[in-house]
Amino acid sequence: MKIRQLTVAALPALAAIILTGCGQDTGGDAQPEADAPDVTAEVQEHYRTKVSLPPETWEALEKGQITQEEVDAKAAAGEFPRFFQFATPADIPADLDWQDGSDLPEFASPDAKRGGTYYTWIQDFPRTLRRFGPDANGSFRPFILDDVITRLGRRHPNDTSITGTGFRYYPGVAREWALDKENATVYIRIDPDARFSDGEPITADDMMFMFFVYQSPHIQAPWYNNWYNRKYSNITKYDDLTFSIRQPEVRPDLLFKVMELEPLPEHFYRELGPDYPERYQWRFVPTSGAYEVRPENLKKGQSITLTRVKDWWADDKKFWRNRYNFDRIHFTVIRDVPKAFEAFRKGELDRFTASLPEYWYEKLPDDSDEVQNGYIHKEVFYNDIPRPTYGLWINQSKPLLDNRDIRIGIQHATNWDYVIQKYFRGDYQRMRTGSDGYGEFTHPTLKAREYSVDKALEHFAKAGFTTRGEDGILVNDAGKRLSFTVNTGYQTLRDVLTILAEEAAKAGLEFRLEVLDSTASWKKTQEKKHDIAFAAFAVSAEMYPRYWDFGHSVNAYDRAFLPDGSPNPDRKVKTQTNNLQVLAYPELDAMIEQYRASSDAGEMKELAYRMEELLYEDASFVPGFVIPFYRDLHWRWLRYPEDFNVKLSRGADQFFLSWIDTDMKKETREARKSGETFPPVIAVYDQYRTE
Amino acid sequence: MRLNPLTARKLRRFREIKRGYYSFILLLALTGLSLFAELLINDKPLVIRYEGQLIFPTYGPVRLGAEFGLEGPAASIPVNYRDLQRQFREQGEGNFVILPLVPYNPLENSEVGGVIRASSPNFERQHYLGTDTTGRDILARLFYGFRTAILFSIAFTVLTYLIGIALGCMMGYFGGIFDLLFQRIIEIWSNIPFLYMVIIVFSVIPATFSIPTRITILLVIMVLFSWTFMTYYMRTETYREKARDYALAARVLGASTPRIIFRHILPNTISTVVTFIPFTVVAAITAITALDFLGWGLPPPTPSIGELLKQGTANLTTAPWIVTSAFVALVVILTLVTFIGEAIREAFDPKKFTVYR
Repeated sequence: MKIRQLTVAALPALAAIILTGCGQDTGGDAQPEADAPDVTAEVQEHYRTKVSLPPETWEALEKGQITQEEVDAKAAAGEFPRFFQFATPADIPADLDWQDGSDLPEFASPDAKRGGTYYTWIQDFPRTLRRFGPDANGSFRPFILDDVITRLGRRHPNDTSITGTGFRYYPGVAREWALDKENATVYIRIDPDARFSDGEPITADDMMFMFFVYQSPHIQAPWYNNWYNRKYSNITKYDDLTFSIRQPEVRPDLLFKVMELEPLPEHFYRELGPDYPERYQWRFVPTSGAYEVRPENLKKGQSITLTRVKDWWADDKKFWRNRYNFDRIHFTVIRDVPKAFEAFRKGELDRFTASLPEYWYEKLPDDSDEVQNGYIHKEVFYNDIPRPTYGLWINQSKPLLDNRDIRIGIQHATNWDYVIQKYFRGDYQRMRTGSDGYGEFTHPTLKAREYSVDKALEHFAKAGFTTRGEDGILVNDAGKRLSFTVNTGYQTLRDVLTILAEEAAKAGLEFRLEVLDSTASWKKTQEKKHDIAFAAFAVSAEMYPRYWDFGHSVNAYDRAFLPDGSPNPDRKVKTQTNNLQVLAYPELDAMIEQYRASSDAGEMKELAYRMEELLYEDASFVPGFVIPFYRDLHWRWLRYPEDFNVKLSRGADQFFLSWIDTDMKKETREARKSGETFPPVIAVYDQYRTE
Repeated sequence: MRLNPLTARKLRRFREIKRGYYSFILLLALTGLSLFAELLINDKPLVIRYEGQLIFPTYGPVRLGAEFGLEGPAASIPVNYRDLQRQFREQGEGNFVILPLVPYNPLENSEVGGVIRASSPNFERQHYLGTDTTGRDILARLFYGFRTAILFSIAFTVLTYLIGIALGCMMGYFGGIFDLLFQRIIEIWSNIPFLYMVIIVFSVIPATFSIPTRITILLVIMVLFSWTFMTYYMRTETYREKARDYALAARVLGASTPRIIFRHILPNTISTVVTFIPFTVVAAITAITALDFLGWGLPPPTPSIGELLKQGTANLTTAPWIVTSAFVALVVILTLVTFIGEAIREAFDPKKFTVYR
């Protein structure tokens, strides 16, 4: 009997071990060793020999029309231009139009105060401090990379207009830049003040080195290898602070692809080698940004603290001052969202995102004491940016789902509107297409199909499903039930699926739910083993939507079509790509290729509309919901600018505009004891709201 | 049936221990009722009279609105009998619908004030224990969850005992190489962590399997890793009984091996085994609840006590009725079983009857 009881009692303990196991040390704080690899010679060799292949050659290579050996032979014969070049300042064209973004307005609040510690939380301890390579694409990445570093320049978050040179940028590491559109080349001058957090100046060498690293197989990051080989064709160094980057094709977003680059510290990556993932696992990359992770602030599995870089070089620069105001940012690992909320309510955390109605309406309603006494502020911020694409991704390589009538039936049997109205209380909106929020690039009239049992039944009937079985689910003549698995990794949204399943059953369609942990579910979907996946892609504020990743047949099958254009009978589904619907249409491929090669925004828009229409007809993506805002709960000592945030923000902290008022914190703490109250703040910011 | 006088005495004693006996009756009644849960808690009515005809839809197929003269969108979807009841009443044409005590099934979402959320117990709307976060009736989910858990634990107990007793008995009776070999196998086997096995197996079995199949798989895994404990007791008991005079006497008289095992040894070891049963049931209920709580148990939206507990702990302050219901239900079930166990142990205590003092 002992054994049985022990097993049961041990269940929670075992689970705890599994969870914390993820955060355990694997690499240790490796000290430089005598036998550490030295990459210097390899870098020089790479600079000397690396060539850039023209897009046609890449495509031919991909389709197997030429072999790697042939390409290598051609490269050795000098047929391709060199990727890394060195020139003198005299080689810079004289007629360039240099820009520095100085005409743009500042967006940080001049009232901001520096200092204090900001307490917040993360759900999982980061699995590595590396920025790229295995496991690096985790939820902590924004705090050591995306939201914190300065990059060459950054898109202005309020002035979202598109000019002749693309988006409007304000300077970061770059002091000024110039676009030579004809030659697809961007010239950059680095700010002489720019420093890494370890004090080393940032130079053009660090930019050259960045390309070396991202093209290197050592980093075990195929996406980087592919992107930095194919999207760029040349970097030329003119002097220590000046360089230019060329792209293989003239596109509308030439500037975007260069300004978003970030120098990598050459002195830090000297030990780059095949053991990179382990060697660099817990080493913090010296940053151009305001926050660094010091080894003593890394309590594995428990907490992690960011510390402000001492005398940060951009402290007084126009677009960087009054931002990054906290001296320290303390992240506690809290695995359970409800627990994190309780910690926030106690005042242990400064802020809590409450976009789920449960927290906004039930757990901290407007009439709760903390809100009415003015201790906790509630704020809703509306804006218009590309949102995560929550919806049902139907795998049309699966039996039955390859039938368009069934897919249309599923569209009509999925009651998103009901979920939005009843569960999300009408706060969210129905997504129209998979590429909403791209301004003019978004199709102006297309709308997702509505829930209608009659229409669903009509389409299911066309596919041979006419009679309902004992349990109300449709059955075809062969006795096959109309039943599909819906998998998801969103534990917090499982309720949404149970409601959808109940509604679908009314139309004779069964959704079998499979709620997995997020990694397992995503893996299943990436391997195209799903019937229907409830998932979303996080999208960044790019100029135009991507179609190649999601719709091109090279991401659906190996050799999707025979040379004569007919479907290849032996084709195999291609795994690990983002084409979750397994779309393969020659006409869509043609449009995508034209879209990718186009340099004319007008033509691209028209193509985007036509592709959206084709995708609508294909009906294998059921658009779900978009959250047109973010909702924030925060203690009153966490202060925000008057208009709360910038137009392009995805969350309240993304641009680091807030600050801690330490006096106010003390005052509030005392007030909670003495019962003193403040005016309540429940605010809606809809200056960027769109319909 | 003629009972062994000893057994009859044990049963009489069991009946005399009131607390255990009434717990047993209560649990038996609950289990019995749960087998007919569809008649007590269901959105399908017990009886419908429509245009002079009596219909009993409880165990029948899903019926569409058109069958009852509904029009518009309601015609082609499964009937909402609560609405139908209201409609029939308003029409007053002699048609009627008699719904069960709780007119909800454990899967359907109902709204409160136009919103799907947890609502507190409400007798008027017949949500006697309130609803969970997606508006599903808690009493319905508890009762159907209880049914799964109790049937699961009974099946679990029967299977582990079958395997455990058979192997343990064989090891004890045959001894020698057979015993040695199986002892080692069991030692190795019982060191495989059970939870990891559940996680691994559940990550590979496809969701295309129906829910009953998945429950069966869970049952098989749990049985596979739980039968070993019973063999220890059975082995030692059999060893002891085998060496006793009556067993030897039977052998001398020429009784066959099966006869010795089934007629002589098993009946004399059974009292030890019986006392373990309630604890095995408790362990099985706790295990399936714990697995559901951790998210490794039954797939959603299957009703289960563990899933309710999980929801409850996540909504402690806003919907305390969820955790209260689930917790009280679990405590009541486990207490009942424990009381029964106590009584059985008392009644079957060999010290009271044995001649070997």
